Amino acid sequence: MTNHYIDLKNSDCILIMGSNAAENHPIAFKWILRAKERGAKIIHVDPRFSRTSARCDYHVPLRSGTDIAFLGGMIKHIIDNNLIQEEYVQYYTNASQIVSPGFSFEDGLFSGYNSEKHSYNKETWTTVKDEKGIPLRDYTLQDPRCVYQMLKKHYERYTLDKVSSITGVPKETLLRVYNDYGATGAKDKAGTECYALGWTHHTVGSQNIRTMSIIQLLLGNMGVCGGGINALRGEPNVQGSTDHAILYNILPGYLKMPSGPVDTLAKYIEKYTSKSTDPQSANWYQNYPKYAVSFLKAMWGDKATPENEFGYSWLPKIDDGKAYSIMHTTDVMYAGKMKGFFAYGSNIAVSSPNTTKVRKGLQKLKWMVNVNIFDNETSSFWKGPGVDPKSVDTEVFLLPAAASMEKEGSQSNSGRWVQWRYKAANPPGDALSDGDITMRILDAVRELYQKEGGAYPEQVLNLKWDYKDAFGRFNVHKVAKLINGHYIKDVTIEDAAAGTKEVNKKGETVPSFAKLMADGSTNCGNWLMSGSFDQKGENKMQKRGKEDPTGLGLYPDWCFAWPLNRRIIYNRASCDLEGKPYNPKMKLLEWTGDKWVGDVPDGPWPPMANKEKGKYPFIMKADGVGALFGPGMVEGPFPEHYEPLEGPLAKNPMSGQLINPAVKLFKSDLDKVANADQKFPYVCTTYSATEHWCSGFTRWQPWLLEAMPEAYVEISEKLAAQLGLKNGERVKVSSVRGEVTGVAMVTKRMTPFEVEGKIVHQVGMPCNYGWFNPVENKDDSVNLLTSAVGCPNTFCPEYKAFMVNVSKA
Amino acid sequence: MKQELIKLIDLSLCTACRGCQVACKQWNELPAKRTKNFGSYQNPPDLQWNTWTLIRFQEYVDQRGTLKWLFRKDGCMHCTDASCIKVCPTKALYHTEFGSVSLDVDKCIGCKECIPACPFGVPKYNKETNKILKCDLCYTRLQANQPPACVLSCPTGALQIGDKDAMLKKAYKRVKELGGDANVYGDKFVGGTHVVYVLPENPQVYDNLPENPQVPLSIIIWKDILKPAGLLVAGTVVAGAFLHYITHGPKTPDDETSDDETTCEGGKEL
Amino acid sequence: MKKGMIKATGSFERVVHWCLALSCLHLCVTGMGMMYHSLNFIGSMVGGMGNLKMLHNFGGIFFGVSLFFAIIMWWKEAGLFSFPEDVAWLKAAGGYLWDVDQVPEVGKYNPGQKMFFLAVALFGMIMVVSGLVMWFPLSYSPQLVRTMYVLHALGYVVIFGFFFVHLYLVTIGAPGSAPAMFTGWVTKGWVKKQHPKWLKEMEKEGTLVVSGKDQPPVRK
Repeated sequence: MTNHYIDLKNSDCILIMGSNAAENHPIAFKWILRAKERGAKIIHVDPRFSRTSARCDYHVPLRSGTDIAFLGGMIKHIIDNNLIQEEYVQYYTNASQIVSPGFSFEDGLFSGYNSEKHSYNKETWTTVKDEKGIPLRDYTLQDPRCVYQMLKKHYERYTLDKVSSITGVPKETLLRVYNDYGATGAKDKAGTECYALGWTHHTVGSQNIRTMSIIQLLLGNMGVCGGGINALRGEPNVQGSTDHAILYNILPGYLKMPSGPVDTLAKYIEKYTSKSTDPQSANWYQNYPKYAVSFLKAMWGDKATPENEFGYSWLPKIDDGKAYSIMHTTDVMYAGKMKGFFAYGSNIAVSSPNTTKVRKGLQKLKWMVNVNIFDNETSSFWKGPGVDPKSVDTEVFLLPAAASMEKEGSQSNSGRWVQWRYKAANPPGDALSDGDITMRILDAVRELYQKEGGAYPEQVLNLKWDYKDAFGRFNVHKVAKLINGHYIKDVTIEDAAAGTKEVNKKGETVPSFAKLMADGSTNCGNWLMSGSFDQKGENKMQKRGKEDPTGLGLYPDWCFAWPLNRRIIYNRASCDLEGKPYNPKMKLLEWTGDKWVGDVPDGPWPPMANKEKGKYPFIMKADGVGALFGPGMVEGPFPEHYEPLEGPLAKNPMSGQLINPAVKLFKSDLDKVANADQKFPYVCTTYSATEHWCSGFTRWQPWLLEAMPEAYVEISEKLAAQLGLKNGERVKVSSVRGEVTGVAMVTKRMTPFEVEGKIVHQVGMPCNYGWFNPVENKDDSVNLLTSAVGCPNTFCPEYKAFMVNVSKA
Repeated sequence: MKQELIKLIDLSLCTACRGCQVACKQWNELPAKRTKNFGSYQNPPDLQWNTWTLIRFQEYVDQRGTLKWLFRKDGCMHCTDASCIKVCPTKALYHTEFGSVSLDVDKCIGCKECIPACPFGVPKYNKETNKILKCDLCYTRLQANQPPACVLSCPTGALQIGDKDAMLKKAYKRVKELGGDANVYGDKFVGGTHVVYVLPENPQVYDNLPENPQVPLSIIIWKDILKPAGLLVAGTVVAGAFLHYITHGPKTPDDETSDDETTCEGGKEL
Repeated sequence: MKKGMIKATGSFERVVHWCLALSCLHLCVTGMGMMYHSLNFIGSMVGGMGNLKMLHNFGGIFFGVSLFFAIIMWWKEAGLFSFPEDVAWLKAAGGYLWDVDQVPEVGKYNPGQKMFFLAVALFGMIMVVSGLVMWFPLSYSPQLVRTMYVLHALGYVVIFGFFFVHLYLVTIGAPGSAPAMFTGWVTKGWVKKQHPKWLKEMEKEGTLVVSGKDQPPVRK
């Protein structure tokens, strides 16, 4: 989230799209209701009328996988009707920049496409710079090659008729949403968007969010109270685990994962340190070397020296251009090229797409370790449906783990609030915290390395994991402090001009990432978290102050929010060029002539009207402004509508390019696809029920199982009538990859769509069930149906749109 | 009475997360039962001895053709004129100082008389223990100045508890804000309930919600008329007999030797 | 035994009567123990209200069986009115309420007793049926069960009222009656007084049994 949960109450219009907030974020939904009580419009756009829809002003059903078309239409509507926040668009976005002459877009493809590799050469996806390297700008936004005009041209094709025909949403309804949301372009109005897995679980997942970012920038909704783009992250500490690099392509704090060709620290720093010659750009990522070196110091301690590049060479490197997502991992597993596998707190035999392939892949492993709080479909795959245990050679270890409430640590919510959580109970039996399990494994491995040696001994033996307390137990406080960072030698900072002298003692915790250094004087496990302790070592994540000086619900003394306790990021964009708030009723920040007052500002510099010292508001971008033209994405700088991998249409109504051109498909015999196939005529989407947790360990919880006992299939009354299905009877749902059963829930809440002149039916199923328990259920994972394909930026699988058939069980 | 409380259920804020349903079971240590999905999000299908509160799910298309998904937290209404208390032979059911209707399980003899008596269908019978069970508004929590488990669990503020007048005021204010068919349900019948709804729709729209609940006439006849009448009639008879004896006298047989077959009793007319 | 006593009842009749009477009394006491909270102490005396309810319920079964035999046994004699003498008797209120020159002669059971019997039979059956429904209320609709509550309470009012009438009459209201249900033998004078027509019928039919005399076989 750019903002935070409580801030939702400050919004004037909340578009919930790609999220089922009431069901999957029930606590957070309270703030949406507070906004509604204040008179805000709450709109839910979703294929399914859910508990969220029930509490919104209105619900708009749209066909799964057509969000970009829907939002593209909104961009066109906003531009055509001049609903934009003009000053904001002119000065706080790259609307005024001139797109390179080589850039083009034709029939669904941007310039630089390589159809064999399914990837783009992004050379032409740039803007023109002057001789000093500063972007050329036309603040009148009239230049036909300026980003604004290019954007306008790109979305000219997204007419109401076209959008309606793709999405299945009637034109009047489209207009209603566009006008309601477009109204937040007023300077004193804020609109926000809440998304979750409903947007990310698509082959165009990242671009779904990009499209909304463009809208938010056009309407001046970024960086303001009640605005922003708000990803509602999940209870499993998704925010925290992402911040701390659960993904293969990042290091903690979203530093880049080194790749093979980037074989020295110098190359690494050169490649990823952001450069700008524009004096008004803060260009915060120029500090990249400080964060990278401090991270290496945290990894290897004293073993990291300038002479050995702080141990950079010991970091694992990924192969350039290769991905290592769970889909890629299981593909390698299925190919029989993987020996061992750790399923740490995961249940991939339920949660990963095309689960048949996953389960078959597990059978080809030599060993597998599952660390979990319950036995599950993954650790028991060898006795699963259709598996003969005698034929499986995989040795399976199930390590009992402590549940989240059985251990201490930090938990980050979607609003980047890192809150310390205390242990409520001891774990049962032999169960240990993940930290203890990991430390014990490392100890054993190190012992073996010392005795027997092995491949790449340095990184194993040099790892500075001094996280144990006097009793040999894993001490989470030590880890938390290292994540924050320490001075590892006495550091004196003298400012002759200001006449100040600051003495920092060795061993003190670093109070802010602004103090981190690239020379090895500081260590820091995750620069974003630097500042979660003060210099005296007080854990700010434990703070529980309830004061709210701004009255905007920022609660600065409640825990720690990264970065630097900033509650709303890009907050300088909430003020005009002189630093006066656009919405005087919600003074998030105000420039008083010498300083910013309000939230922790996005940097101390004056507002950009001050040509000497002033800075642009989007400090994390090299050019200092929000990106309407966003070359960072792999499939193009402007989001474009592509059909899901499996959909009801044989042709993309928008262009000749049916699916996301950057998508690469797996080639195994089990990676089957059935697009626009009569055998699988219905669109299916999957989701999580309020009552269950992800892949379903709550199925062990009798109260929750009582409330949601078995898998169900939500079917419209029309489709049920067509298929002769009665409410409550068991049905079979099949895709080209597999089939599952469930109880038919015939409901008014599902409605057919009129798409390209034809009626398209959609069904939906929850993803929380599996064969392992309860045993009397005959249901299995819905992911037996889904395909292993995902967004080419993140490799988030396309769980939300695929094609199925439905029949009586 | 210490302080009369009202639990306010604002259905316009309910997201049917069912936190209350589970929190109730946790606090009151009520076991779960295996259920089947019967084509609805609602489960268990009805209130049970082990389910004192339940979210009812109902799809409803209003007169303008707008689809609404109605959620209603069902459970004991804690009536002032509580039929269950009226019929309970052992005083197992009783009013607490907060106005809520509590249950002394030890006193319950499993006679089940309260079950048909309740206009809301709340008390439920447990065969194994031969007791009825129902929501007691977390009486022990109230005594400790804590909100009931359901209220504590509610994330959206749909459930609140507080002083009777304050809650009613809040309810009417909320209804005014909501406009349309919104209405306050609970304060106008059975002497006023201690659970009050803000209903976004008319009461008759909701499943299993009596539009105008009453203490059943049969219960009134039974407990308010026949119960005293039993004693009154018996007393009258005894008194009448006594009066008869002293005024008219007993009907004694004539002297056995007498042949007079038509002797009348002595005494006077009544 | 004193000579010249007349046999009014058989032993079976008396057993049935007392089964009915005692179970009725038992039900009154246990039922009232549940109906009136001030009488809950009755429950304590039997080890708790749950026991009281069980005693009441099973007592009800005993009562039902007794009632069944009573009805079979007394139906002809006490369930049917005979005309016109019963009407005439009623018009004179059997001489109980005001002075009557001559109380119309009636048979073994006078219309008052017949009414008592009918009331007991009718309300007794109502009590049994409604009581059974109340025993298993979950098997019936709440409306039906609620109706049964009313009937059960109404039956209680009626039966409890009649009980005292009965008690009064058999004790001090009509002295000499009680032995009919204890020993079965009553004085001739009492029969003559209360049931002169029955006496005449027995004499006529030769079924009269008088103590101390050789008699025809005892009537069943």
